[in-house]
Amino acid sequence: MYTQFFGNYLLSNGYVTKEQLFSAMQREATQHMKLGTLAMHAGYMNASQVDETVIQQTHQDRKFGELAVELGYLTDDQVLSLLKQQNPAYLSLGQVLLDDGILTNSDFEIIMNDYSSKNGIQGLDAITEMPEAIHNLLNSFFQKSDTSVSHNGYMFVELLFNDFLRFIGDDFTPMNVKEVKGAPINCCVKQEVHGDYSINTYISMDQPTAIAFASRYVHEQFSEYDEYVQASLEDFLNLQNGLFIVNVSNDSSTELTLGVPEHVDTTELSFEKKTLQFEILYPFGTIYFYMELIKSNE
Amino acid sequence: MSIDDIKILITDDSILARKQLKDIISTLGSPTFIEATDGQSAIDKYKETKPDLVFLDIVMPKKDGNMAIEEIMSFDPDATIIIASSVGTQSQLKLAISSGAKDFIQKPLDKGQVINVINKFLEGR
Repeated sequence: MYTQFFGNYLLSNGYVTKEQLFSAMQREATQHMKLGTLAMHAGYMNASQVDETVIQQTHQDRKFGELAVELGYLTDDQVLSLLKQQNPAYLSLGQVLLDDGILTNSDFEIIMNDYSSKNGIQGLDAITEMPEAIHNLLNSFFQKSDTSVSHNGYMFVELLFNDFLRFIGDDFTPMNVKEVKGAPINCCVKQEVHGDYSINTYISMDQPTAIAFASRYVHEQFSEYDEYVQASLEDFLNLQNGLFIVNVSNDSSTELTLGVPEHVDTTELSFEKKTLQFEILYPFGTIYFYMELIKSNE
Repeated sequence: MSIDDIKILITDDSILARKQLKDIISTLGSPTFIEATDGQSAIDKYKETKPDLVFLDIVMPKKDGNMAIEEIMSFDPDATIIIASSVGTQSQLKLAISSGAKDFIQKPLDKGQVINVINKFLEGR
């Protein structure tokens, strides 16, 4: 989940605007990684060495790797290893921002070091295998938003991000969570979770986003907002909540039940209880997820 | 018995879930599909068509899957009912099995698991 929260970190710390991030996200999939960025990420070179090598490159028509070796910044073996290795996806996002001139190499070096140390991440490539690092990322995510959630709420949100990763794609960035009293909606589906931990859940997005969302979820290309697209939203929400109550049951033997997912036929939601809004930015559009805490410890 | 000779009742309020299940089963052959969108219509359609196999969701409008199992089983104790649901808690599983369901498939649907269930059913006929 490092990649997803990396975008949130850049935004929260003012390194990029939402528009710049969105634009970079749309292009990151096709991004060609540069050797200097990879070398900084691997800790082989610092930003000033990369800058120096790039300056030298402007005077000589030579490859970055060759020059960096000649300047004593890299060894041949390091160049080979960088060219061979599988790189984490978040680096592509950084590369787009570097190419756009939104970040400098120095910025990126500081950002990578700061983000890793703040979240207790070592060996960024192995991030998906580190539950503790994911835990830190989520804690930091809630702290930044000045919001706290109970143990069950935390489990719900962690599962939500994992479900987006698993069923829709890993190319999203979560914006900071917000408490809201209401929200304008377009294509929206609601499902209630009942029991000792009761919440009302909503997923909402505009029509073009819903069509793209359903296409990814079902692995079929939809071109209009039809009953299958609407059913995809319902199905995703039902799956999230179904898996959540299974997790809660396994975790604490608490048995929760689900209401039937229903289409919300209004243009505005109004919440009576504390409600958290999760804004999930994908290259194809923005998804809003609402969690109205009916009976909980938050 | 061949899959082409059987009738399968698929009950789910989600048109998408019904389609996904039909698509997977159709890779094995061409059974006759009957569809229902809630627990009550599952009961009605079972009585009307006497299908060989029933797939049933749990969370549904009108009557939920658990109520539908009980009514179908009291009508036909030999009914073969498979639950396909995202709500795979231990207590839900026990309830479904004790009510008479033969198997439980956790959503998201796994193609291999659905095919295994169908093959197991056909072998037992």
